[in-house]
Amino acid sequence: MASIARKNLFEDIPRFLVAQAGIMFAVSLVTIQVGILDGFTRSTTRLIEQSDADLWIASKEMLQLEITLPMPLQRLIQAREVEGVDHAEAVISRNSLWLDANGKIVPIRIWGFNPTGRLFSNWSMSKGTPTALKEAYTFITDRSNLNALNIKQVGETGKIVPLKAKLVGLSEYTQSMASSTSIYASLESANAFTSGLGSSLNCTINSGDVDCKNPLSTADIQLSEPQPQPRRLNLVDPISYVLVQAKPDQDLQVLKQRLEAKLPNTRAYTKEEMASITRSYWRERTGIGFILGLGAAVGVIVGIVVVSQILYSSVSDHLKEFGTLKAMGASDWVIYGVITEQALWMAILGYIPSMALCWGLGAWTVAAKGIVILITPTTAIAVFGLTVFMCVGSALIAIQKVTHVDPAIVFKA
Amino acid sequence: MTASQININKLIQHTEYTASTVQERPLYASGTWERSGKRAVVAKGVKMEFRSGADSTPILQGIDLEIPRGEIQLLMGPSGSGKTTLLSILAGILTPTSGTVCLLGEEITRMSKDELSRFRLKNIGFIFQGFNLFPALTAAENVEVALRMKGIRKNEARKQAKDLLMEVGLDNRINHLPRDLSGGQKQRVAIARALADNPKLIMADEPTASLDSHSGHAVIELLRKLAKDNGRTVLIVTHDSRLMDVADRVAYLEDGQLKN
Repeated sequence: MASIARKNLFEDIPRFLVAQAGIMFAVSLVTIQVGILDGFTRSTTRLIEQSDADLWIASKEMLQLEITLPMPLQRLIQAREVEGVDHAEAVISRNSLWLDANGKIVPIRIWGFNPTGRLFSNWSMSKGTPTALKEAYTFITDRSNLNALNIKQVGETGKIVPLKAKLVGLSEYTQSMASSTSIYASLESANAFTSGLGSSLNCTINSGDVDCKNPLSTADIQLSEPQPQPRRLNLVDPISYVLVQAKPDQDLQVLKQRLEAKLPNTRAYTKEEMASITRSYWRERTGIGFILGLGAAVGVIVGIVVVSQILYSSVSDHLKEFGTLKAMGASDWVIYGVITEQALWMAILGYIPSMALCWGLGAWTVAAKGIVILITPTTAIAVFGLTVFMCVGSALIAIQKVTHVDPAIVFKA
Repeated sequence: MTASQININKLIQHTEYTASTVQERPLYASGTWERSGKRAVVAKGVKMEFRSGADSTPILQGIDLEIPRGEIQLLMGPSGSGKTTLLSILAGILTPTSGTVCLLGEEITRMSKDELSRFRLKNIGFIFQGFNLFPALTAAENVEVALRMKGIRKNEARKQAKDLLMEVGLDNRINHLPRDLSGGQKQRVAIARALADNPKLIMADEPTASLDSHSGHAVIELLRKLAKDNGRTVLIVTHDSRLMDVADRVAYLEDGQLKN
């Protein structure tokens, strides 16, 4: 049968384009909101997922990757002694401040790790290597952070107050959208960068007046000025995590129990558990998941309203034709089929350009802003399903109109 | 011919039709045709009322009508007399308030909605005053839709659609959209569609009302041909007295009643 649905749809091209614009808007809104939510939550767990650790040992009070209580470095030594542990490394995660060449303060998160280790820093590097961090007071940051730190290239310097620091490498896809600007350094440099922050007012008393100089307020950035070598960490220095690689064929659940029994006040998580806890925190315990989810829901509602209006109006315009089909003896299902096919065409023809638009937009936001709109195959399929549901669901409203049409209208000229 | 049929024909021939234009035509109103299978349409005591709240407006007041197979029956009368309502009931599109309708030996007033749809699809072709073609479909596609609905396969439906359009003289307009056709051509497409899969009954509502004189004559001739050449029964609701030339029978409806 000639497709009445398709031909009705293309009969009035301007109206068809308006309808498709509405569907594209709805599909794009849903895709972008879901993509941002996925990109956001994925970005919060990048460091976990890119690590080669089988287990992450954290304080038992840990809420998510960036919110945890410290534990002594001794836990690293204790972990190495547990049966089934092949290798273990410490990771430090602390907040600090970056002072750029113009004296502008930027909140940063410092990650300290062993530059020659193999568990934490398995990222792609666009410039330099993590081993360059063996030099004191150096750091690596994500390529997308250059603007935020107001530096242009490797070799430039700034101040991780109160100490001066030099950029020695650029990593790729390591920045969490939820986090402050991340900076990666050796354990010793990270410890030095974050020691004494906030307690360094240099004050003198002159004739009863207190005269203070705040080292944070100066933008004097000269690496020629000698800085003391950062000291090695000792057993009581605080660390944030112990990353563990298990021996081959080691049962991770058994190893977790051993580690938790041996390391007081800690819990051990598999990489997947750690990522899941962090994702859940951002999705469920902050407003971000709700807001982005709400945006996606609004997209669906807008889509349903737009498609319903278009289909209803199309059915109203062709009511006499549907009445004619009914008079000729077509069953209601034939009519429903025509309307549903029309809705499916609208869904498909609205979905394809919308998805192309979102891919393009996603590529641009990554390149220009470092913001990932993550459109996974699962998301793409789910959004297509949602689009079909939205359009076919809207068709039900139009079907109601046709169901009640009196076939006797066909005799009205 | 049975005795009762002869009597009725005599009765018809001696009945004077009030409209001057049709005085020479035999008038058929009601009769006592037996259920012999020779009648395509038998309506008995058909009443129709439209209710609005507590008010009830009678539209048809006990119509008895029988149409023999293979004949052209005109249904005439002034506007508002109930012609279209009667046509809708006889076609199984409207359900009467009371009374029975048998088409081709089957009592359609006892059928369910789905059974009625199937019956119409199989047995009745419709022609409408406003053509009721699908504007987005070509002439051939309009006919093809009807054929496909009747279960004919795509390629066969395409071929039959072309044949039907050739039969109504539109072989050079097969791929034209309705907007590119004249009124007469549209009605011929509608007739071709009504002929899809060779239905035994054709029901036409004012088939010439929207046409000029020339097109009207062409359509009238076509209706006569399709009835006489193929033995179809054709019921036509019309104001057009030109159609009386091709009709076998004329019924006159006024104030919801068939008048002799």
